[in-house]
Amino acid sequence: MGRGGAGCFTPLLTIMKIFTKTLWLLVACLSVLPGLSLQADPAPGPANAAPAAAMPSDPVRQQLVQAILSTGADQQSALTALSGSGSKTASDVLSAWTRSEVYLYPAPDGSKVPVILEDQQDANGKARAIRVIDGQVLKDASGKELRYADGDLDTADSDMRLRSVIQQTLDTLALADPDPDARSSAVNKLGHSKKEGYIPVLQKRLAVEKVDEVRKAIEEAVASLQLNDADPAVQIAAVRKLAELNAMGSLDMLNDLAVSTQNNPQLSHEITGAVGAINAHIGWVNFFGTIFHGISLGSILLVVALGLAITFGLMGVINMAHGEMIAVGAYTTYVVQNLFGSGFDFHITLPFSVGGNPIAFGLNLPGLNATGWLYQSYFLFAIPLSFLMAALAGLVLERSVIQFLYRRPLESLLATWGVSLVMQQIFRMVFGANNVQVNSPAWLLGHFAIDDVSFGYNRVFVIGFAILIVIGTYLLLSKTPLGLLMRAVMQNRAMASCLGVQTTRVNMMTFAFGSGLAGLAGAFLSQIGNVGPSLGQGYIVDSFMTVVVGGVGSIVGTVYSAMGIGTADQVLQQLTGSPVTGKIVVLISIILFLQWKPGGLFSIKSRSLD
Amino acid sequence: MNKSLKVEAGVTAGLSLVLLVLLPCLNAFTSDGSWLHVSDFTINVYGKYFCYAILAVSVDLLWGYTGLLCLGQALFFTLGGYMMGMYLMREIGTLGQYHQPIPDFLVFLGFSKLPEFWKPFSSFPFAMFMAIILPGGLAALFGYLAFRSRIRGVYFSILTQALTYAASLLFFRNSLLMGGNNGFTDFKFMLGRDLREPSTQRGLYICSGAVLVLVYALCRWLTTTKFGKIQRAIRDSENRVLFSGYTTASFKLFVFVLAALIASLGGVLYVPQVGIINPSEMETEKSLEAVMWVAVGGRGTLVGPIVGAFAVNAMKSWATRAFPDLWSLLLGLTFILVTLFMPKGIVGLVGQLQGVWQRYSAGKPVVEAKPDESIAPDLPEPVEATKPLAKAP
Repeated sequence: MGRGGAGCFTPLLTIMKIFTKTLWLLVACLSVLPGLSLQADPAPGPANAAPAAAMPSDPVRQQLVQAILSTGADQQSALTALSGSGSKTASDVLSAWTRSEVYLYPAPDGSKVPVILEDQQDANGKARAIRVIDGQVLKDASGKELRYADGDLDTADSDMRLRSVIQQTLDTLALADPDPDARSSAVNKLGHSKKEGYIPVLQKRLAVEKVDEVRKAIEEAVASLQLNDADPAVQIAAVRKLAELNAMGSLDMLNDLAVSTQNNPQLSHEITGAVGAINAHIGWVNFFGTIFHGISLGSILLVVALGLAITFGLMGVINMAHGEMIAVGAYTTYVVQNLFGSGFDFHITLPFSVGGNPIAFGLNLPGLNATGWLYQSYFLFAIPLSFLMAALAGLVLERSVIQFLYRRPLESLLATWGVSLVMQQIFRMVFGANNVQVNSPAWLLGHFAIDDVSFGYNRVFVIGFAILIVIGTYLLLSKTPLGLLMRAVMQNRAMASCLGVQTTRVNMMTFAFGSGLAGLAGAFLSQIGNVGPSLGQGYIVDSFMTVVVGGVGSIVGTVYSAMGIGTADQVLQQLTGSPVTGKIVVLISIILFLQWKPGGLFSIKSRSLD
Repeated sequence: MNKSLKVEAGVTAGLSLVLLVLLPCLNAFTSDGSWLHVSDFTINVYGKYFCYAILAVSVDLLWGYTGLLCLGQALFFTLGGYMMGMYLMREIGTLGQYHQPIPDFLVFLGFSKLPEFWKPFSSFPFAMFMAIILPGGLAALFGYLAFRSRIRGVYFSILTQALTYAASLLFFRNSLLMGGNNGFTDFKFMLGRDLREPSTQRGLYICSGAVLVLVYALCRWLTTTKFGKIQRAIRDSENRVLFSGYTTASFKLFVFVLAALIASLGGVLYVPQVGIINPSEMETEKSLEAVMWVAVGGRGTLVGPIVGAFAVNAMKSWATRAFPDLWSLLLGLTFILVTLFMPKGIVGLVGQLQGVWQRYSAGKPVVEAKPDESIAPDLPEPVEATKPLAKAP
């Protein structure tokens, strides 16, 4: 067992060795040559996408011009035609019109050309004019761009009545927006407008609407508008409908109505019932929302603490630099993001000089300037890379410091704290003292809702990822030869060594693996929080606590305690109304919990004394 | 033995004479330009170092002599400082920014009356009483709970770290009415004397130095008694002491509370000299820094922590001025190197080098200064207490 098992390290180890050597060579090169920079040609930035030339025959634009230039019935019919188009251009131009920002340019042939001035003004306060008819810049006969200030041109007239018609067109336009979220918010706006005139508009939209959430929003909005109906029967039906829909947004309206309809006992009764039902619903939504947040926080803690459970729980090494391994992962994500974008460079000048030359070194890596889906996929490359980088950092740390301190855990705590200070300072020198910007890929933004409880994609991703990591760690430890050796060395180092297991190598691999897990945690902490030099410090106390509560040396215990602490933290935040108080209560409860179970949740029964 | 004790007493007396009598005299009675003159700044800085040294001795009493690495000593130090700070805040009177009879930050928070728990702090004896009761009580409660359930070694360190973290979160809150993250500052008077006067600062300097000498003498005496022997026995093998019939928990609790009180005393003297106290002083890093002074100076000796506190802080003052960006790099590297290569610190360096020299002159190959494994048998091999995660296939 021992021989065959030990053999499986060789290829991996060779790779690691080569990697380490290359790194040292690189570092040596960089530090020997003062002022050296690996300069690459500055890659051209992404070309500014030229505004897509709109076809002059675009019907929406033609209708817009017609609506602006005509009067009376023609204008009405043009606006009505626009209201069904759902076009962004239409809503932009129309809202500019209500603000009196559509101008009429007198063309040389006597006709009037509607234009809009650009936001960007030159030194004289003048801006380029964009023609409504085709979206092109207005030019004179010689092809020179014409520029105007606010007062230079006549504005397209709009009186009060016309403006309200335009406003209505705009509202209806929003209902036809291609984005369901935008449609929902437009519907909600109409629902709270208290104008019953919108009911037919909304019902017309309901007939063609296909997305369930928007349908629900429309029904809610119609019922809210019907609350103001003169007929009590319609009102009662609307109240019942709202109760049935669990319309949380209408709670205020219902309460207002209850005050004004004291004299109608049946209606008041219905309203009381509806308000009660909706309040109960809100209670459930908050409850499940808190649980979800708790589980997602627990998952973050879990991934952070899992690496610690390996290095601290299994190896007995207190690694105060564990937090910095998290930061290594997060910064790797940042660098990968920049490599997919415009590139990454840094430059350090040390505050002393040799022979008059200041010692400086730097690195300039060109970027791919990727856009679209390629750029969005950077995170998929960042995940494995952050594992590798943190594992490598862990390997270096184990070889250089920790291997001398296996028998002196208290001193490994102190030495690794020194390492953590050094690493934080290096982060500050390379990446700056401020937080760096890590953009989440589009597919991690946004959220979906089940019965009003909203689930952010990034949080769902974190939970799923944590499950994968736990399963992966479990499989690695229990099903692979490497895992077998790890467990053997952890249980009885001397015996394992006697049987031919190369314990130093196993230690190395275990520590690198634990650090790599921390790097993974860093990769997705970068998606939900700030990335800065002291990123890891915020998690170190929590993750130590998680491991201690779970039972040192037990991965299952770590899972339970991470989930428990995460959920307790969120629930207590809700109950006490302040994040800090919640945290203090959790910490004190943990101290008290250890009175009851000093070995943690899953303590290991042993006959050995210490 | 007796002779070396005499030598030690002589050296201590001589040093205290120079530091506590000569230096203040040079500060007070020589003129500014004279080469003998000791500036007010120097007096102030050394006074601060004395307080750090008191803190370091308390860390060493726990770590070097009893084997308890407490990462919460800065908490007790700061608690003492806060009690002193509350008294100093009351001494300001109506001279604050808002010219109100209550501290400025309370005015800022919308208070017009002094909260009840602030009232007794107008009295100096009460503040001193609280500087003993609060850290001592906290240490007694926490120590009782921790030692009763036999939390030791690394777990004790992690729990004290968590306690400190919780406390700093609490003190960062404005609603505690202890100044929030700004803490207390802008002190004016102490016991009716102006704090900005050089003579007051000189008095505080002498006071801090005297307290340090007293604390040193107390600890020195304690380590020679039977109690001190048991203390070191607990460090070296707690189980053996336990099975010999000693209740180790009570011994550890006593040392823990004593160390907390010493640290608190350091904090009390520290605050009027630096003129500010805020919750960042009680963060874990500060405790770890104090542990580092002890490690650098040499733990398990009483001179070590004092030497370490002076050496590291002097280095800090120099490095933060010369290379402000590289200070934490330097601190971290020092810590790594000291832990790896100088387990006995500066004080033990001579012995360590002698060993190397002897081996060298005896013709044996020079062995790299290997960390001495017998120095801290805090935990046995961590390996023995673990079990397989899952059954082997």
